[in-house]
Amino acid sequence: MNDTMVGRAKAKLLMVLTIGLFSIFFLLVVSWSLGAVDIPFTSTLGHLKNIILNLGPDMSVAHERIIWDRMVRSVAVMGVGIGLSVSGVVMQALIRNPLVDPYVTGISSGAALGATLSILAGVAIIPLAEFATPIAAFIGATVAFFITMSLAEATGGRSMNYVLSGVIVGIAISSFTTILIVFSRDQRLHNALFWLYGSFSYISWVEALLIILPVIVLSLILLMFARELNVILLGDEHARHLGLDVKRFKSISVLVVAVLTAVSVAFCGIIGFLGLIVPHSARMLVGGDHRLLIPASMVMGTNVLLAADIFARILFRPVELPIGAIISMVGAPFFIYLMIKRGKEYSG
Amino acid sequence: MAEPTVSLAIDGIRFGYNGTDVLNNVQFEAHSGELIGLIGPNGSGKSTLLRLMNGILKPRLGTIIMEGRDLDKMKIDEIARICANVPTEFSEDFNLSVKELVALGRYPFSKGLWWDTNEDEELVTEAMKKYGVHHLRDRLFSELSSGEGQRVLLAKAMVQCPRVMLVDEPSAHLDLRYKLEVMEHLREMLSGNVTIVIASHDLNLLARYCDKVMILSKGKIVALGTPEEVITPEMVAQVYGVDVVVIKDEDGIFAIPRRTRREQS
Repeated sequence: MNDTMVGRAKAKLLMVLTIGLFSIFFLLVVSWSLGAVDIPFTSTLGHLKNIILNLGPDMSVAHERIIWDRMVRSVAVMGVGIGLSVSGVVMQALIRNPLVDPYVTGISSGAALGATLSILAGVAIIPLAEFATPIAAFIGATVAFFITMSLAEATGGRSMNYVLSGVIVGIAISSFTTILIVFSRDQRLHNALFWLYGSFSYISWVEALLIILPVIVLSLILLMFARELNVILLGDEHARHLGLDVKRFKSISVLVVAVLTAVSVAFCGIIGFLGLIVPHSARMLVGGDHRLLIPASMVMGTNVLLAADIFARILFRPVELPIGAIISMVGAPFFIYLMIKRGKEYSG
Repeated sequence: MAEPTVSLAIDGIRFGYNGTDVLNNVQFEAHSGELIGLIGPNGSGKSTLLRLMNGILKPRLGTIIMEGRDLDKMKIDEIARICANVPTEFSEDFNLSVKELVALGRYPFSKGLWWDTNEDEELVTEAMKKYGVHHLRDRLFSELSSGEGQRVLLAKAMVQCPRVMLVDEPSAHLDLRYKLEVMEHLREMLSGNVTIVIASHDLNLLARYCDKVMILSKGKIVALGTPEEVITPEMVAQVYGVDVVVIKDEDGIFAIPRRTRREQS
């Protein structure tokens, strides 16, 4: 019985989830312990127990207050880690290209322009002043996404059309962002750049929950599409041979991915390569079946981003590095490696 | 034995891209248990005809009746539960293993289910054994040779338990032995009252194995009948512009081309 495909798939999934969740817990404890002030691990665990038992922190205890602040941050980190990884997996399947990331749809450039505009112009959407940047980023992401998709559909809707449209729209929008940045020379510039490289500083509980809750819901929706995503890997025509209404499925799932990516970048900025590296590594680990691939990417993405966040905070402390820079430093060589390996395969 | 039923009835099909007709008044019937060969020069409309029969394209005029129902009124997943396709070219870069790919053939029957059932697994194993790819089951599809890949695709079509099977150029990447084996397997499937339409450039392979052969030329069916009736030197000369010698042996007929340009002596 255990040698059936399903039996083995379930065993593999269980193993990945167990190891993944264990390692997430470990990273969380490390993440709550290290920072400008170090707290011993055992003491962190004790405070954690208190926070859970008391349904909240005791604000009169300094360490507990610090841990509580770090928790906010790690919730947001986990949300973004899941969001970008899952949207990467799904985008790669929909575009049928394992070397694209969710930003291929122009979403990151759109979000960047929106956020830069709001930061530099000091746009305050009363009474949502606090959320001006994420809202502007979200709107920018959605608009860029629709421009890219319309362009790709208009030019034939093939895999390459999506990639090229995304690149073109991305470059066009980025030029506006660049011009905006050239014209600003004060503290706001620093804030804008900080956002552009991705930052989890100054995040509030409300914001963290606004990231992680939609991310989990949208990821679960995409997880429910796992078998359809497997079928779509065969190509549009072949998927239709198997009875999948490709057009309908694609329009729904592309929309879900767009919102998922937009939520993931709106609050904390652009973190490149995560949506590319994680799906790829997960595929090497568990194979191409999305029933395993999506959950594996969720735990892997969480792990990678939590680890990157820890390094961003402690590598040159008290200076905090942008988390996007950390991921890119590891991600770029990894991507080059993939291109070399894949490129050889294609030419053969 | 009961009268074989009509599983595919194509009536007066017209279809064209940009105003020019690719298929012009095509009609024929296929019965269950029949292996029908579809031949014709490049661009004669073979692939278009297959894509009309599986519902991917819609004819401009005419009807296609599959198992007594108008294809035009059937939903795409209803068609998938009757009709399986084996494409010629296929590539995949997403780390799907052989058995995962074959198992996708069960998708039309298990929508809404999360895991494959035991029955699905048995069908997958059986099909992989039949097409000689069971020993490759854990290999990645992208690492297979094109011949192995083609057999995997045939196995995938088989787990779809089709009543109609449309095969586009199955022998393109197969060596001589596997070509014959694949045709033998397809013949074996016929006993389950399946109708198989198979498009190929391999005249002789079709002549050996098909019950009927259909020649498509410039969007029209110019000949339809048993291989002996259809594959004649005159017909081949008319359609391909090639002189052939048709020879008969105990397994049927085969056609061998003459050299197009004779050396002056």
